[in-house]
Amino acid sequence: MTVEEIRNEIDRFPIGMRVLAVDDNPTCLKYLDALLRKCQYQVTTTNQAITALNMLRENRNRFDLVISDVYMPDMDGFKLLELVGLEMDLPVIMLSGNGDQNLVMKGITHGACDYLVKPVRLEELRNIWQHVIRRKVGPKSQSKSKHSREKPDQGNEGGDQNEKLNRKRKDEDDDEDNGNESDDPTTKKKPRVVWSIDLHRKFVAAINQLGIEKAVPKRILDLMNVDGLTRENVASHLQKYRLYLKRISHQANMVVAFGGNNDASSYMRMSPLDGLGDFRALSCSGRLQNATYAPTGMLGRLNSATGVALHGLTAPPLVLPNHTQTKIPPVVSSNHQNMNHFQGIPQSFDLDQLQYCNKPITQHTNSNPIEESRIFTGTNLADLNSIDETQMFRDPISVLANQTGAKLTSTGAESFKFLDQSDNQAPNFSSNLVPVGESYSYPAVINGGFSSSITTTANEPIEPYGGALVGDIVQNVNQSLSSQKGGPLSKQDYNQYSQTALTTLAGSALTSYGGLSGPVSHIRSNGGGSTLVQTEQTKLQNGFVSSNGYGSLDDIIPGMVKQEQDATTLMNGEFDYDPYIVRGRVYDDESS
Amino acid sequence: MDQRNQMHRHIANTRKSLFDQGYLDEQFIQLEELQDNSNPNFVEEVVTLFYRDSARFLSNLDQALEKRPLDFNKLDSLMHQFKSSSTSIGAKKVKTECTHFRNYCNARNAEGCKRTFQNVKKEYTTLRKKLEAYFQMSRQVGPIETACRSR
Repeated sequence: MTVEEIRNEIDRFPIGMRVLAVDDNPTCLKYLDALLRKCQYQVTTTNQAITALNMLRENRNRFDLVISDVYMPDMDGFKLLELVGLEMDLPVIMLSGNGDQNLVMKGITHGACDYLVKPVRLEELRNIWQHVIRRKVGPKSQSKSKHSREKPDQGNEGGDQNEKLNRKRKDEDDDEDNGNESDDPTTKKKPRVVWSIDLHRKFVAAINQLGIEKAVPKRILDLMNVDGLTRENVASHLQKYRLYLKRISHQANMVVAFGGNNDASSYMRMSPLDGLGDFRALSCSGRLQNATYAPTGMLGRLNSATGVALHGLTAPPLVLPNHTQTKIPPVVSSNHQNMNHFQGIPQSFDLDQLQYCNKPITQHTNSNPIEESRIFTGTNLADLNSIDETQMFRDPISVLANQTGAKLTSTGAESFKFLDQSDNQAPNFSSNLVPVGESYSYPAVINGGFSSSITTTANEPIEPYGGALVGDIVQNVNQSLSSQKGGPLSKQDYNQYSQTALTTLAGSALTSYGGLSGPVSHIRSNGGGSTLVQTEQTKLQNGFVSSNGYGSLDDIIPGMVKQEQDATTLMNGEFDYDPYIVRGRVYDDESS
Repeated sequence: MDQRNQMHRHIANTRKSLFDQGYLDEQFIQLEELQDNSNPNFVEEVVTLFYRDSARFLSNLDQALEKRPLDFNKLDSLMHQFKSSSTSIGAKKVKTECTHFRNYCNARNAEGCKRTFQNVKKEYTTLRKKLEAYFQMSRQVGPIETACRSR
């Protein structure tokens, strides 16, 4: 296609944009159809998710955008979203009558590029074309999308679309030295990559070969050795893959915890966000809800002292006391799962394994999430704003190193938000996860395992699992809190950081907080990457920071580092908590 | 001519009262705005679809409410469907009752569910009657005249 032709096509855009609308409710579908036609899009509707999927699989290039309801009888909207994202790389917009933040978050973490609440208005649909453009532009170059982000909000003004398109195009043209592997910067259109089973297998094999922490798009691409595949293709697929894994591990946890009650209604039953909002308030004020241990004050201090300095974090670290012993997140198992995932195409969870894995954790009757999960946000935050997110995605190690390297070594702490994903949580757990798109948040919860979470955006869910977690996981946390029977927090989210340092720190932070004087009972890292640190609960109660722990940490760290090396995945985002610093601030008895 | 004007006025007033009395909300206006020359009977089509869906949902709910013990998850799920439809056409009072119902579901309150379900059905029936009368009037006057936008 010549540049001129492309420009013409783009100039007409978004008129004629091909939308696939999916909603099982006929009335809603009809209304949606009318709205989309009013926007002059080319609309195809279906009330069955399966049909939609088949249509898409048959010819992905038939559509530019998919809009789907969340609540559908034949298939969960989130599942459809995920499949479409993974297989077809099409932008998907979620639609729901329920505007709960946790659901919205879930949509985002599943890869939705937008989440609309019914009843939808015409104005909202007039802007959805931006998601298509963003996709076309974005995958071309990760760094380019940075430029996009820096531009003023393109979609919501609903203003001169052509102007925006031109500007975007111009920027792309100008920005030719971003290491873009694509052929012609002016070629806006790239044929969509079909991630066939074979290709995906190669992809997963490459990841396993590289090891999670080293699985950066460029290397994966090299290993895969596929013609016509660009780093950007791999990068975006990798992102989705990670989300998928994360979500699966959450689900597994959840299933284990809830005994399989994993359907939508389970989270529909969850307390409203408002109830959980207390959590945020609590964490803000330093009070711990459901605190089972004395150090509420400490936590409070922890929260305030450490001044969760996450950029844009809206919620201070949440320390969620883990009441429910039974609900100890099966971190271990999750790790196993992660391991499995990384080693092959994870198709299912071995729930038995999860259950099994749960046991050691439950030994800590008073599972104190605090000890286990720490949100380390501190002064050593990588400067979110300065992090080139796309770079992060591509090569987080170097980016992070640049950002926080010094800090890391000095403070030894990256921001680890360890999400503890316990199955208690309803599917919303995954909402803690990285929001798709421009921000990466990885909640890191250490609770017998960790997932480090680095968020680059304001929404940084952090699941404090027994630990101070920095990040705005409020919703998630709230959810988990409310939904948890016993109250344990629990989400274990294993986001592996490719930087071993981070994990090391996280681990050490965990252990230190967990009252390390006791031995770190179990540190395990899967190939998949999550390192489990099971600390003794009681220790925590006495305080998060124990110099003993620190000492023991030193012993553990090398081991952990080593373990982490296999386990970590890309790290996105910043690190925020410097456990040492936190310790220093919060606990006077830090030195020891 | 005069009679026609009167009819128009009557229709407009009827429409206005539907809003004033809270039977319909802003969403209904969205439907009206989507009606145009290429889509001249859009509102009525959507509403008719709504009746059809509703018959199905309400019947399912009736059945589910007969079961013992009550499956609250299922009830909630069914009501969610019905509420979605109601929301789409702007059925305000119906929507409110649906919300009450779902609250009782969440609270696992069987009596509350059954009671509010009766309210849901009642509101639905009332609304349907009013809308049917309204559309019938509109049809009599002729398609050229669209409802007055003023409320």
